[in-house]
Amino acid sequence: MSEPLVVVEGLSIQAPTRLLIRDVGLIVRPRRITALVGPSGAGKSLTARASMGVLDVIPGLVAGSLRYPALGPQDWFQGVVGGGERAQRRLLEATRSLRGAYVSYSPQAASSALNPGRTIGWQLAIAIGRRVEAPASVGAEVRSLLAEVGLPARAAAALPAELSGGMAQRAALAIAIAPKPRLVIADEPETGLDPVLRRSVIELMIQVCQVHQAGLLLISHHQSTVDRIADDVVVLPAPPAGEVAA
Amino acid sequence: MITRPTWTDEAPVVELIDLHKRFHRAGAWPWSPRQEVHAVAGVDLRIAPGEVVALVGQSGSGKTTVSRIVLGLEEPSAGEVRLEGQRWSGLAEAQRRAQRVHYQYVPQDAMGALDPQQSALEHIEETLKVLAGLPRAEAREKAAEMLSRLGLGSRLHALPREMSGGEQRRVTIARVLALSPRLVVADEPTSGLDPDRRESVLEALIANLPPRAACILVTHDMSEARGWCHRVLAMIAGRVIEEVDLSVSEPTHPYARVLFDPWSAPLPRGLLADQGCPYRPDCPLVTAEVAHLCATTVPSLQPLPRGPDGQRVACHALTASSSSPPPSSPPSSSPSPAPTP
Repeated sequence: MSEPLVVVEGLSIQAPTRLLIRDVGLIVRPRRITALVGPSGAGKSLTARASMGVLDVIPGLVAGSLRYPALGPQDWFQGVVGGGERAQRRLLEATRSLRGAYVSYSPQAASSALNPGRTIGWQLAIAIGRRVEAPASVGAEVRSLLAEVGLPARAAAALPAELSGGMAQRAALAIAIAPKPRLVIADEPETGLDPVLRRSVIELMIQVCQVHQAGLLLISHHQSTVDRIADDVVVLPAPPAGEVAA
Repeated sequence: MITRPTWTDEAPVVELIDLHKRFHRAGAWPWSPRQEVHAVAGVDLRIAPGEVVALVGQSGSGKTTVSRIVLGLEEPSAGEVRLEGQRWSGLAEAQRRAQRVHYQYVPQDAMGALDPQQSALEHIEETLKVLAGLPRAEAREKAAEMLSRLGLGSRLHALPREMSGGEQRRVTIARVLALSPRLVVADEPTSGLDPDRRESVLEALIANLPPRAACILVTHDMSEARGWCHRVLAMIAGRVIEEVDLSVSEPTHPYARVLFDPWSAPLPRGLLADQGCPYRPDCPLVTAEVAHLCATTVPSLQPLPRGPDGQRVACHALTASSSSPPPSSPPSSSPSPAPTP
């Protein structure tokens, strides 16, 4: 089997008053789907962001290792553990070139994550610019990406507000895969969609990842979805009781 | 699970009789013909006192329009709404105003429905003073009591922006329940919340409904419909295609089954037929026997042959055998000539 795309081991993240994540590990392999499930507040998004090298809690990382074996043996968390804000910012800079071309992120609320003032085509072109090798024609790439997620070519000229919820989710997916990443992290892509749309978005995401031979880290609340599609499942335990203002 | 209310001689809280709603949408240009959208196409529904009914369906299936018509926020294009045996649709607003306090609405967007400058307590207190006409001290006391009942006893003086999404929802619910309504219509009261918070919000609403109050819950979360409702109505294209009590039975209509478990069957392409059964293009049950009927006649809600009481489905293929008198032979094995009209 080829090298895993990402391996996280023993990840623990500390907030000022409490431990947010304790000893979490995950592996995503090429062309495979790893699901990250757990109740709200369990640290699903935090874990996913940490696996892209994005740490924004202080004091933050207190234990763990992050490796991208497909790129090399380096432990990216070395020197960051216990290093606080400055070390975390250095990591953010060091991993910047990986985000996009190697790992990309599809956000939870697609319609609010898209730039409301720019057309879908413009936003796709920016994402295509993150590729390792620039394509011959950006316009042709935009059209083929839109076709791949099942959007009409005229969606390139549309602003996000002109798209329905399902279409916005597709556009966000097109942007996530535009840099040809080897690992896609999808943060609850199905939130707010009706059951039928939910399945079609997930199926599209899997299909697109297969076509691009990418691994998928899927964050989900829906155990029934995860049971059907995931190769590996990582379950995060519930946080201490008490509702936290979101 | 909640206990099922029994039908009595009392008038149903809600009675919808062949309800239709058409919207007109402007064409692409000022001179293009206006397009007509048939948002609700013939809905009949009776809800008993104490009954909780879920309306489920995809976005655009007309469930929100039905709930708005029930409250008199929209006028039906045809058909009638009766609330507690009294005519409700087509009345002048002056005639309705005095009654509105009994028929309450829980909005989808809680933050938009709350005053950013009022605390939780002030919201409920003002509602009780203005709508129920209580004196200030009594309104305040009752408001605090209702908030405590919904688990907000320690948050009486919090402003909306200081509350979590779940707490904001519970304030809108407390505001409605404090009025002891006889009908509550909740339009996706849990949308945008995390699944495990949805449960507590829904419990706050349904477990605290006044006795004999009816409730319509619009949702696309099927586990909510399953856990909290006596009856579920699945809608497509403005029509109810199945009515089922999930505590005794499961959905049978192929579209309702996809709604409840989208992974159970190939995904519908979402093409809706203009004539005949709207679900026909995606339907796996169309056989040569019923194909003609499906293509020409809109199926009406019929009891399922040998199904439990109260389960009704709008499908020619599923209810075909009920029209042929003796259920002696299973319909699939005997290709007997169907009684063609």
